[in-house]
Amino acid sequence: MPVEPPPAVARKTQKARLTQAAAASENVAIIGYAAAPVGRYQSLRDGEGLLEHELGISVLLDACAAAGIGKEDIDALIVAHPGEHTRQGYFHTFIAHQLGLKADGAVFQVLGNGMTGGNTLDQAAMQIRSGKARIALAFGAHYESAIPTQDHLDYSIRLTGDVDFQSIFGPVPVAWYAMDAVRYQHEYGVGRDISGHIAVKNRAHAALNPRAQFRKPITIEDVLGARPIVEPLGLLEVPARSDGAACLALASEEIARASGRPYVRLKSRGFHHEGVHQMSDRPGDTLAYDPLRIASKAAYGSAGVGAADMDLAQIYAPVTIVEALASEAAGFFERGKGAYAARDGETSLQGRIPINSCGGCLSRGHPPEISPLYDFVEACDQLLGRAGARQVSDARLALVVSELGKFNAALAYVLEGMQ
Amino acid sequence: MNIPVLRSDTSRPYTPRVSFFTRKFWTGLSEGRLLTTFCEDCGHLTFPPKAHCPSCWARQVNWRDLRGQGRLYSYTINHVAPRKLRDQAPYAVGIVDLDEDVRVFCRLLDEPTMDDIGSAIQMVAIIHADGPLFAARLTSRISPSANFSVDIR
Repeated sequence: MPVEPPPAVARKTQKARLTQAAAASENVAIIGYAAAPVGRYQSLRDGEGLLEHELGISVLLDACAAAGIGKEDIDALIVAHPGEHTRQGYFHTFIAHQLGLKADGAVFQVLGNGMTGGNTLDQAAMQIRSGKARIALAFGAHYESAIPTQDHLDYSIRLTGDVDFQSIFGPVPVAWYAMDAVRYQHEYGVGRDISGHIAVKNRAHAALNPRAQFRKPITIEDVLGARPIVEPLGLLEVPARSDGAACLALASEEIARASGRPYVRLKSRGFHHEGVHQMSDRPGDTLAYDPLRIASKAAYGSAGVGAADMDLAQIYAPVTIVEALASEAAGFFERGKGAYAARDGETSLQGRIPINSCGGCLSRGHPPEISPLYDFVEACDQLLGRAGARQVSDARLALVVSELGKFNAALAYVLEGMQ
Repeated sequence: MNIPVLRSDTSRPYTPRVSFFTRKFWTGLSEGRLLTTFCEDCGHLTFPPKAHCPSCWARQVNWRDLRGQGRLYSYTINHVAPRKLRDQAPYAVGIVDLDEDVRVFCRLLDEPTMDDIGSAIQMVAIIHADGPLFAARLTSRISPSANFSVDIR
């Protein structure tokens, strides 16, 4: 959604500030952003569809217009690796070429599995924090919707497993999460008749989100009656295939403040990788999502807040059970209780802690490499009061979580709206 | 021979690579042995076998036979499949915790139910036309007279 360009006056003031050399800055702000509606843009037929860079550049230009910046202001372009199914390689330099963008900070591509989009924003923030850039763009376009499912899975089984000892047995990526759903049911006696409400809740949120891919409301009966994909999970409990593009412009808080316009501050950050690729070699609890416990605790700690202070949370959760487990690990619910939250309305827009107000991976749509960028975009909309019919009232602080593997790593950001 | 050996006249859907180091594992498997490595310095046992210790980084590791018995930690049944497993879907995969305190992910030859979580598991070797794979069976489903017979593709 393009945001209204700022008035010319504000642009001029900001330009004056931007002429100063970049300096290391403690606080980083998101000063503008844009994202295309998630959907199917990819076409394998001639004369149809939009190419990834066509959609991407349109979104990038919208984000820059929203931020009131031009190409001469930008010192860094950090690009989410678009993945195997995007035709254009070396996408970051291709985009710089398309834009005639010269940069003294950095131009590179980031790959962090499901966390790719999170790392993209994180690395853009590093460019500001270190003083390498005055303005850094966190950008990504991800295409995959036209790739035949078997081809997609042939590739993805090589990602989420040891190719010689695990992938050979054909665990599709969501299979790992499905095993969490089974284990959750075993340990807590809570099945998909409860956790399935997470899909219903997310669809209700998506119905209010013009950027969402799936907006038609669904019921728990729809969820439970859908065809099985990775038992016990069915079609509506796992993500569909999606294309999209998103861009956020980052600057020091000094630049953001000088603009005289609302912005979102990156208040704090936490990260942890547990040194495991998908599954530990030793028996143990797979439901604790310890990396998120550690990352969110670090983020809360350095912001001087707690989980209870969050007004909303955006959580990378490709399947229903992941949202339940992650909401427990982030401190919103006790263990074994997260699955009930959606059914009980606690994570709805008017609930105690609205989660995935955009519809999440399940209903907003899930272009995996950039889903976290969409999560940041949604948090910005909420914190700046731009979320329209899905606005969470008095939203000031948001937790944004991205992950990789099976929550083998987590990146947690606390964002604060500065109006 | 430590674990039951089944035979299949089909080829493996996906072929593991065999390195100079892992050859011992795959050769052992084709003889009905489930081998892995442990660290001579700190004792850490790991699966799959590694030429170094992931715990203390020592490079002195040794091989050990696993008994091939354990418990089912979790499972799922895949109804969507990559290309070479399409004709086998739906198929079960799962996480097995072996008695020696290592965790293994593999194909389950029996389709479990929720009640099978925590149940006894027997690891098996399957000798395909082009080489071996390992898999797991629910011990409760193994009929002594049937001699592990199961529809293996």
